[in-house]
Amino acid sequence: MSDHAAQHDDTAGHDHAHGGLGKYLAVFLALCVLTTMSFFTYSAAWPWRDQPQVGWAFMLAVSCTKAMLVVLFFMHVWWEANWKYVLTIPAAMMALFLVIMLIPDIGLRNRMVSQERALHMARPSDVLLLERAGEGGRSKSSAH
Amino acid sequence: MSSPAISVPHDHGHHDHGHHDDGHHDDGHHGHLKLQYQPGLPLSRGKLIMWLFLSTEIMFFAALLGSYIVLRFGAAVWPKPHHVHLSEPIGAFNTFVLICSSVTVVLALEAARANKTGLAKFWMLTTLLLGALFLGVKGYEYQAKFSHGIYPAAPHGRIYERPDLYYGSAVRARLGEPAIIDRLKQLDDTPAADLTEQEVAARAALQQVRTMVADTNQQAFEMAVVADQIMPLPADGPGSEAHGGHAQGINDVFPWLQLPIVIPGGNMWASTYFLLTGFHAVHVVVGLIVFAVLLGYTLGPKNAGMIENAGLYWHFVDLVWIFLFPLLYLF
Repeated sequence: MSDHAAQHDDTAGHDHAHGGLGKYLAVFLALCVLTTMSFFTYSAAWPWRDQPQVGWAFMLAVSCTKAMLVVLFFMHVWWEANWKYVLTIPAAMMALFLVIMLIPDIGLRNRMVSQERALHMARPSDVLLLERAGEGGRSKSSAH
Repeated sequence: MSSPAISVPHDHGHHDHGHHDDGHHDDGHHGHLKLQYQPGLPLSRGKLIMWLFLSTEIMFFAALLGSYIVLRFGAAVWPKPHHVHLSEPIGAFNTFVLICSSVTVVLALEAARANKTGLAKFWMLTTLLLGALFLGVKGYEYQAKFSHGIYPAAPHGRIYERPDLYYGSAVRARLGEPAIIDRLKQLDDTPAADLTEQEVAARAALQQVRTMVADTNQQAFEMAVVADQIMPLPADGPGSEAHGGHAQGINDVFPWLQLPIVIPGGNMWASTYFLLTGFHAVHVVVGLIVFAVLLGYTLGPKNAGMIENAGLYWHFVDLVWIFLFPLLYLF
């Protein structure tokens, strides 16, 4: 009997065969190293401080790698059968579509704003003004 | 739906019952079929339900994170992490705590499968404590925001977007509240000898602020100076990090004042920050409840399925934080 049953026992037993302490510790170390890498963008040693986009791209890549490691090894998806694609791919596509759909109305909301709104919303010039006020205050207090 | 006409020609070895898909299960007795049930997917029901739930969670958090990204990059101004008193090292520490807890829950599962129930309980308890530590650190961070008047909305929220006339009148209104007038009078009457050096400087700055907001002919730059005296926005750069925070403003020296503050883009920031981290924290709380319940069971191979499902959920919570940390603290 039961090639089928044996096969099923196999898949069930498969769950128990994978993993292993060494593998989990390796993943854990990789996650720690990756977290330190993204934290590195915050340190003074990060060479692209004046180009935030470089840091963003770097951190997004690091985050995706970390997410992959957690999903594949801690959540055992690496060892799962093909059903994993049925659940994850549609959900991921929905997520992506949602972000794209938000862009015209929300992402580009400041392209054309009403006079009234423009009057009350923060603008980059406000940040400059505050920074200038701060510099003035600091030089004053250092003069004291 | 295979019909005999189609299946017979392919099934040379079983002429009699070739139309049965599971013909090879028959042990030779005609008419005696052993039915074997097969699951639709090669995984247990509990795990299937957990994964279905997690796929809805993927969309839930993708909606939140996606909206945050679109709102953030579509904003004219977005505050720097230091402007809103976010501490990157604390965020990184919390990331480390969650990663550790992900490892301990995996170790609990492995121990349960190996029938080491005591060890499984130990790892489960460690996970619970690490989750609680994460929440504690989060609470501490929330407190740092609240103490500066950074709330998602009124009446507690004291964030103004621009140093303009409206801001000036809000400061004037706060300084005109009866309770504050009494405290100000007390402060004015206190001899300088009874105050610290910092308090004396802050009192002088406060005097300047009171004069400036009393003037009805205010200029934008004057209001920017007022905002800077009340809560300075730290300059972004390696130099400012060395001081481990921000310069002290009047609000920090005299916490009872609770004057309005200016953080350009701060209101939207507060809304998204508290929504994202709040929902994440709620998920952490749910995870902790599940772990606490699991601790009441014998964590052996029989209950390994439950640990696996709880673990799947917990890893997902970790996964969300993996994206939240750089998006909120480092972008």
